[in-house]
Amino acid sequence: MAEPSAPGRSFDEEALPHLDTLYRVALRLTSDPTQAEDLVQDTMLKAYRSWRQYRPGTNARGWLLTILRNTFINDYRRRKHEPIAMDLEAVEPHALYRSIQDTDPEGSFFSQIVDAKVLEAIDALPADFREVLALSDIEGMPYGEIAETLKIPVGTVKSRLFRARRQLQAVLYDHAVEMGYIKPRETAS
Amino acid sequence: MSRLDCTEALAHLQDYLKRELTPELVAEVRVHLEQCRDCTGYARFEESFLVMLETRAAKETCPEALRARILAALRAAEERGN
Repeated sequence: MAEPSAPGRSFDEEALPHLDTLYRVALRLTSDPTQAEDLVQDTMLKAYRSWRQYRPGTNARGWLLTILRNTFINDYRRRKHEPIAMDLEAVEPHALYRSIQDTDPEGSFFSQIVDAKVLEAIDALPADFREVLALSDIEGMPYGEIAETLKIPVGTVKSRLFRARRQLQAVLYDHAVEMGYIKPRETAS
Repeated sequence: MSRLDCTEALAHLQDYLKRELTPELVAEVRVHLEQCRDCTGYARFEESFLVMLETRAAKETCPEALRARILAALRAAEERGN
């Protein structure tokens, strides 16, 4: 085999800056630090071996994330109890806001929730939701780039994000009520 | 005057906050928010949610030991020529 080569930047220069992103996305996909580490390492080695297929100047982050995702689907996804989507369809989209708009209209209860609980709530989302949420709202990838990486239409990215955010908000709200960060809405008598 | 009613403005709100709208729609949503206190309140709520996600969930970084292990594995692969 010839030395992997690409004109211009080296593999290290293109790929290593994305290690933090790859690690965080791997954590969200596997929900397991040990598996996440193995997944990132496997991804980097696979990427190195297919480095000649990478077109310089294109989106290295998306390219690496596609490899990470395929590796995860093929070799890692053996979860027994994959979380399922909450049935939010029946609920009015802005119901949560309606219930806090008098007591905490700016949603400051979000800032009281500890990091670990936020991550736990994300990891309890269904896989499809977790994935788009991690890429968009944690890594800051534009919708178009997510669509390309996941090979789904932008409209699907948007609708998954919308439902993922709603489910996450509902879970965090329940937690905040439980912890006393926010008063529960008085039930109509 | 914005041509969007509350339902339409709220439907675009997350995409507005994520800067994923066309300039025309951005302007429409902005005009609506300037005129509608209810929707402005909701926009602040959504924004604090998105900011919370960005600032708290992106804190984790690749552990140094893993970084070192990956670099070593890459150098080994390089020497083997695959």
